[in-house]
Amino acid sequence: MLRKRLLIVLGFALVLFILGACSEEGSSSEGTTDSTEPSDTTESSEESSKEKVEISLWLTPQWKGVLDSSEDGADYDSFFNHAAEKFAAQYEEYDVTVNVEVIAAEQRDEMLNVNLNGGTPPDIFYESVFAMGDYAHRGALVPLNDIVDDEAKSDIASNYWDTVTFGDDIYFYPFSHMPGTLVYNSDMFKDAGLEDYVGGEEEIKTWELDEFETILNTLKEDVPTDKYSNAYPMGLYALNNQGDTWNLAYLRMFGNEFFDENGQIILGDENGAEAAAWLKDIYDSGLTNPGAESVSSNDVNAMFQNQQLGISFTNSVLYNNTLAAMESGDAPEFDARLANIPSESGDPLTFTYVTGSAVFDTGDETRIKVSKDFVKFYSSDPELVKASKNGVPVRSSVAEEFKDENPLFAAYDENAQYMFSFTGNVPGYNELRQVLYPELQALYTGGKTPEQVVEDYQAKGNEVIESSKEDSVIYSE
Amino acid sequence: MKVNPYALKRNITGYLFIAPQLFFFIVFLVYPIFEGIRLSLFKISYQETTFVGLDNYKALFSDPVFVKSTINTVIFVVAIVALTVIFAIFVSSAIFDKNAKYVSFIRGSYYIPVMVSMVVMSMIWSFLLNPANGLIPYVMRELEMPAVNFLGNKDLVLPVIIFVTFATNVGQAIILYIASMIGVPRELFEAAEIDGASRKDVIFKILIPLVKPTTLYIIIINIIAVLKIFVVIQLLTGGGPNNASTTLMYFLYNNAFKYNQLGIASAVGVIMFVIALFLAIPQLRSMLKKE
Repeated sequence: MLRKRLLIVLGFALVLFILGACSEEGSSSEGTTDSTEPSDTTESSEESSKEKVEISLWLTPQWKGVLDSSEDGADYDSFFNHAAEKFAAQYEEYDVTVNVEVIAAEQRDEMLNVNLNGGTPPDIFYESVFAMGDYAHRGALVPLNDIVDDEAKSDIASNYWDTVTFGDDIYFYPFSHMPGTLVYNSDMFKDAGLEDYVGGEEEIKTWELDEFETILNTLKEDVPTDKYSNAYPMGLYALNNQGDTWNLAYLRMFGNEFFDENGQIILGDENGAEAAAWLKDIYDSGLTNPGAESVSSNDVNAMFQNQQLGISFTNSVLYNNTLAAMESGDAPEFDARLANIPSESGDPLTFTYVTGSAVFDTGDETRIKVSKDFVKFYSSDPELVKASKNGVPVRSSVAEEFKDENPLFAAYDENAQYMFSFTGNVPGYNELRQVLYPELQALYTGGKTPEQVVEDYQAKGNEVIESSKEDSVIYSE
Repeated sequence: MKVNPYALKRNITGYLFIAPQLFFFIVFLVYPIFEGIRLSLFKISYQETTFVGLDNYKALFSDPVFVKSTINTVIFVVAIVALTVIFAIFVSSAIFDKNAKYVSFIRGSYYIPVMVSMVVMSMIWSFLLNPANGLIPYVMRELEMPAVNFLGNKDLVLPVIIFVTFATNVGQAIILYIASMIGVPRELFEAAEIDGASRKDVIFKILIPLVKPTTLYIIIINIIAVLKIFVVIQLLTGGGPNNASTTLMYFLYNNAFKYNQLGIASAVGVIMFVIALFLAIPQLRSMLKKE
């Protein structure tokens, strides 16, 4: 009997112990995620006069190094770690620690959705604005109007502010931008006898559409196979949504405007179908890599670096990284130059990704304040903003300072007149991106005709836009 | 039902011993099931949660991608489970009574892929099959064979995924079958031999009926595993081409984490739960049925 009682008591003790351990764990983990209460720290450590605040900053891979990828140990988080140290050293109100985390671009939405639903979003996210606009529509971001001063407004041109403004509020602090273009292997061009089509080293070459077709056909026929084994004229991909902006640009090649003035997709007309038919045609004629439906943009980029493609896609940061990889010996060296996406009208198609920082609404006023101060610090500190030269600076002062060092800045500037807004600033853009690639896969595999593809994309895309409008905080205001 | 106070008193120690495990079981398994069912009746956005009744289910059944993923999932379950069981029985019955070292070698060879993470296996297959720079298409091109995109052809992509998953999973079933077949009493084989039974008779009339509990177990765990097939799809095809290889789990994942449609994703989860129950109950009943 006694033994039985003992067992019962022990059993209860075990359950209580487990429950106790759980709740203790819960409370201690809360303590680390939230900023500590002022009374706690002042009581426990009188020496440190400043309250400790820990914030997290996530970014997708942008440029390596603080200012330059040639630095020792340069990595994607170098800039933000350096900025955090500098910020913490001069910040008077709090003792700040910034945890910097690099997130793979294709994982961004998964990571953010999981953390938003779990109530643990990062404090700051540095990324292309187009990919983050949905979070502003969903009410997950805080407006940054209060940290944008007149100095910033005058140094950064108004079209960049337009890109980061949703409704009446600014949700992203623009830092740099990355114009998207094509890149070509001019060595391969010359080996195929295409010298006449090669542009200058500091030029973004513009070809007419028929010139472009000539280039593709010549590359197919005349590239010496002993020097470039297994090479194809142009890179084409549709495995997932990565790099889809170039696919969107190709669909505008025959004059389609993509969105109407009400933010509705209008790809399903003749021009749209013509562009889709053109893509299908170059794919079927072997002018691109095979299997576009199951090849990703990463694969295509790797193929270009291995000299297996004559023409591929790039943006300013990707282009710099490619050149840096060649210089460091990580990739085979060849002469890679830039070109525009051609169109039937002769005017090139060009777009840019404005990159910048967003602050998430974590519900913790202290952390939001510190995050905003940090964003303002690295987006306006005269030394730190120089890092924006890795893309193309949004600040005129920085662009001016580096224009001799990077002559392409002038070429990008020249291109700006042909720029189109690829998101159309529509809500639900992230989900809209998931609609395009299955249709392109159907196009390349012959599952649908070009006409069906653009019509189905228009119908499904407009459905997404409509339902996202209903949920948008900005539209409901 | 009347509670017998004496029996309760007698068994309370036992209940207390299982209490901690039961606690975690309820918190981490039972509660999420009910929470999932509840969420499937709501439309969830970052700012608010609205009750929508069965709208999520209605939306699902009118979504061709969902229908396609359900059909694909059923094809995967049937094909992979059947292949696994048949091939595992074939290999195990051929070798179970051979030299112990030989049996260990075969067992080890088939088990290695099971130990390798599915992610690594998928990456290796992706390297082999990638149409632009993969090894197999390259060799085929060099041999001047017609170009086949194994991952991009809507008729080929299902058989390829079935094969990849089957090749990775079959080791587990072989191990279980060999263990079970080694346990079959020797006298039965000796008696059959005296009666002049052929090898075929021994396998079909003695071996397979006697390892039936193992077969049922393998069928159940494989059905449940294949219902959740995800990594291969995510890494090899991304559900493509044009949703030809999408599965319920992949569809659920996309809705939950890419489109942030938690209500829809929960509804898919509930449907998957019902399918798993529906498929597993007859098996479980025949397994638990007393001989």
